[in-house]
Amino acid sequence: MIAAERYNTVALFTLVRRELIRTMKVINQVIWPPIISTLLYVFVFGLALGNRIQSVQGVSYAQFLIPGLIMLQVIDSSYGESSSSIFQARFMNFIQEMLIAPMSAFEIVSGYVLGSLVRALLIAALITIMGALLVHTWPVNWALYLGVLCLVSLLFSSLGLIFGLMAEKFDHLAALTTFVITPLTFVGGVFTSAQMLPAALRNLELFNPIFYTIDAFRHSYTGVSYLPLPFSVSMIALLAVASYAIALRMFASGYKLRT
Amino acid sequence: MTPAIEIDHLVKRYGDFTAVHDVSLRVESGEFFGFLGPNGAGKTTTINAIVSLSHADSGRIRVFGHDNREEWRQARRLIGLAPQEYNFDRYLSIRDVLIFQAGYFGLKGPAVRARADMLLERFGLASKANQEYTRLSGGMKRRLTLARALIHEPRLVILDEPTAGVDVELRLELWALLRELNRDGLTIFLTTHYLEEAEELCKTIAIIRDGRIVTQQPTTELIARGASLQEVFLELTRA
Repeated sequence: MIAAERYNTVALFTLVRRELIRTMKVINQVIWPPIISTLLYVFVFGLALGNRIQSVQGVSYAQFLIPGLIMLQVIDSSYGESSSSIFQARFMNFIQEMLIAPMSAFEIVSGYVLGSLVRALLIAALITIMGALLVHTWPVNWALYLGVLCLVSLLFSSLGLIFGLMAEKFDHLAALTTFVITPLTFVGGVFTSAQMLPAALRNLELFNPIFYTIDAFRHSYTGVSYLPLPFSVSMIALLAVASYAIALRMFASGYKLRT
Repeated sequence: MTPAIEIDHLVKRYGDFTAVHDVSLRVESGEFFGFLGPNGAGKTTTINAIVSLSHADSGRIRVFGHDNREEWRQARRLIGLAPQEYNFDRYLSIRDVLIFQAGYFGLKGPAVRARADMLLERFGLASKANQEYTRLSGGMKRRLTLARALIHEPRLVILDEPTAGVDVELRLELWALLRELNRDGLTIFLTTHYLEEAEELCKTIAIIRDGRIVTQQPTTELIARGASLQEVFLELTRA
């Protein structure tokens, strides 16, 4: 009955399963709202207003919109899942169940990250199906589609853990979403191509990490990107690994977990 | 026989405040050990250091011979903690609280599910197995805390005021359960403010005051001079 000594994989996957149970218990808060809001974006911006816009990157505006909307929701759900879950566990102190168990920082962080990834993949799959049915667009490069999704989810779920540990109240978590993530996502190319922007703004986009994620992910749909694909993917991978390493370090040191 | 807990010169500071000063303790395997002291004396800090919720500034803790820093997986696997406060996962049913706790300890499968059902039955919670813990009474939550501490079959269970806030009937019921568990070979480390509870249950008692152990001896010797445990406690813990 005792798990292997070096890694407690049973514990890791127990935490992933726990995160999925949590997701299903709050499905009306975390799965349906992003799907409904994406549906509205597609109808209002894509199909209604989009008819007035000529093709973007060789596809209709509605088709251009779908990968950006997937990224928008993947970023939001990955950050929201891990940050709120770890914050609640700290706030209600049931994080102790894991802290007293033979679980390493790697197993705890990876459990939360994988739990966020599964939620993000579910949302991405639903929006992908919606895009295929409503505007007849789907990825042309599935490996890139999955690779970028996983890296972006890793990046933002790790950030969620970092801020979920630092936050003293729920308000702090919302502040990062409201003042940083949402604005950067909206100006990061969800609704516009970099080529539509004035040159000065286009250069500013290079300082927006979310721009890289959307640009690379859109390539999996359109086969076209503003920045060279290897550069964007490398940037996302670098940021994801750095965020994961910081989250791991915080858990290993017991930051705000162990006195 | 390897002791259940060996604490050597434990020191824990919070900034300028030293919560635990050079504490050394030895709890024998199979013992029912009482750890008493006034509020703020260092009981919870010591417990937190044993279960790794707190980093010691210096000193060493071994659990059944395993250093809780160097061999932390082995040490943690042997301990069950029943904290004073209810801290159950609000998204899980009562049965799942036990099964998931076992999962965090690296256990899964039919044996774990059977043990969860056995514990729920033994603690009178079987009829509530699929409910959320928020629907349990205070006494039931207390029993669930104990069941959760036992799900991974630890050799040592640490009970932080297990009968705080429960009625007399449940307290007696819990005492009977604890005695039974101890008879079955489980080492019990108990903190309590009810001195009659310690006197009734514990074979050995240590008293801590201002972060220092002021006595550790068999209960019978502690009260041998005809004084009650309450009188001895007050004498040792008054400044």
